[in-house]
Amino acid sequence: MSDLGDTWEEPTYTTLPAPVEELRERVRAFAQEQIVPRAAALDQAPADELEWDLIKQGHDLGLTRLIIPRQYGGLGYGMFGLAVALEEIAAADAGIALVFGATLLGQAPVLLSGDPEVQERWLPMFNTDEPVLACNAVTEELAGCDLLIPENAVHAREVMSAQRKGEGYILNGRKRFITNAKVARYASVYANLGDAPGATALTGFLVPLDSPGITRGPVADKMGYRGCLGSELVFEDVEVPAENVVGGEGGGVHINVQQMNMARAAVAAISTGIAAGAFAIAKKWAGERIQGGTELWRHQFSARKLAEMSAKVDAARLLYRKAAYITDNELPTPPYEPAVAKLFADRIAIEVAEEAMSLMGARGYLKEYGVERYVRNALGTRIYEGSPEVLALAVTDALYAEDDF
Amino acid sequence: MSVFSSQEQAEKVFERLFSILAADENFTGRLRDSRLSLRLNHSKPDVELNISADGVRIGPDPSGAKPSITISFSCDSAHKLWLGQLLVPVALATGKMRIRGGVSKVLEIVPLLQPAFDQYPAIAAEAGLPV
Repeated sequence: MSDLGDTWEEPTYTTLPAPVEELRERVRAFAQEQIVPRAAALDQAPADELEWDLIKQGHDLGLTRLIIPRQYGGLGYGMFGLAVALEEIAAADAGIALVFGATLLGQAPVLLSGDPEVQERWLPMFNTDEPVLACNAVTEELAGCDLLIPENAVHAREVMSAQRKGEGYILNGRKRFITNAKVARYASVYANLGDAPGATALTGFLVPLDSPGITRGPVADKMGYRGCLGSELVFEDVEVPAENVVGGEGGGVHINVQQMNMARAAVAAISTGIAAGAFAIAKKWAGERIQGGTELWRHQFSARKLAEMSAKVDAARLLYRKAAYITDNELPTPPYEPAVAKLFADRIAIEVAEEAMSLMGARGYLKEYGVERYVRNALGTRIYEGSPEVLALAVTDALYAEDDF
Repeated sequence: MSVFSSQEQAEKVFERLFSILAADENFTGRLRDSRLSLRLNHSKPDVELNISADGVRIGPDPSGAKPSITISFSCDSAHKLWLGQLLVPVALATGKMRIRGGVSKVLEIVPLLQPAFDQYPAIAAEAGLPV
């Protein structure tokens, strides 16, 4: 076994590798025993409140360093282990799951750099008693997908700028809707270098968020995912040393795309968890509710709904696990499997959550029964790490791509 | 047109590069301890190198053993990579390189290849390749 992490044979369709199954059970126990009882309160709390106690418990379980190689103080579970864990968390609360998912996004450029010196500087910090979080700062007021799609880069407007100064760089601009920005130790930040048009010289930087010139803006009041904090980051003449560049000058779009491909299996797992959580509530209800002298699930139309929901959750699970396994065993992460996994999981999360709400009738519409929260959370999954439109482009580009060697 | 004039020239250059590494006990010891092996599939021209704790072989491994990691790229991309003119993340993202094998093993083997970056410019210059 490598010091850097476990490797295992491709999982069967029904059996997880033993270490991953043990991880899943520990995380499930945490999610069901600690998060579920507090999920309603988390959802209805003010937007800028974060349950640090739950984050600490998740950190103690290793959720902030599952994908980091053991050589750097991580647990070496790879994307496969992280994705399985995030499904369990998201079944209880998607916002808490995204706290750890967003930290992965901040770690991804460090891992993708392939530079041991960069990894030595930025990864061991997660192996501490107190939780350390990271974030990924891409989205801006006028640029979202324009920074994810290379062909769009020339059209991007007023992108955050990076100017060379001496041996380093000066960053100016704003990033919006950044999960964890309020509490992260550092951000992976993308800025356009020099006077290149649009985002054609996008460059990736690792920036400590206590650097002079950085302001963390107010937390956005979201429809769902209220267990995590999304806010603005403002950069005013922020100095960044050259050693903090990832992927070379102008290589930001490549790192960014790789980062998205790498993370999509985990995000698909969050969507799957939302669907699984909603389905669990509906299944329990349909097993107890008596109408027409029998349990709801015995009525054919209700049975059909439950069967479809169950099939969708299982299919989404298989897709994200396949994508996660491939992510752990191939570089670059092939774009096809993660994009398909997220495209499907995002859609069925909405369908399953809505159907669960429908099955419960009036109670599905009430906050106290919990399922309406899953509908709101499901609607949020389509927004980050690739909208359905961006994912469709990634899938078709992959279908027609050829290697250049 | 490739910077390499022939398959023979490419074989000679890359075999020499990795033979220097294979002669380093620190390199081979790490490979042995971690049970790592590496296959480099070059194209244009086609050159396959198999590297393990036992040494460097040009061409397929007769034992048929599956390497821990397989790197596929063109000879020109390999030339630029070892010269430091092509970064690994960019090569991966632009389809100029593909790596198969556990990513954790890839991360383990990368630092072991640093001497290749150090040695290659001189080897390439001696072979008459553009540096």
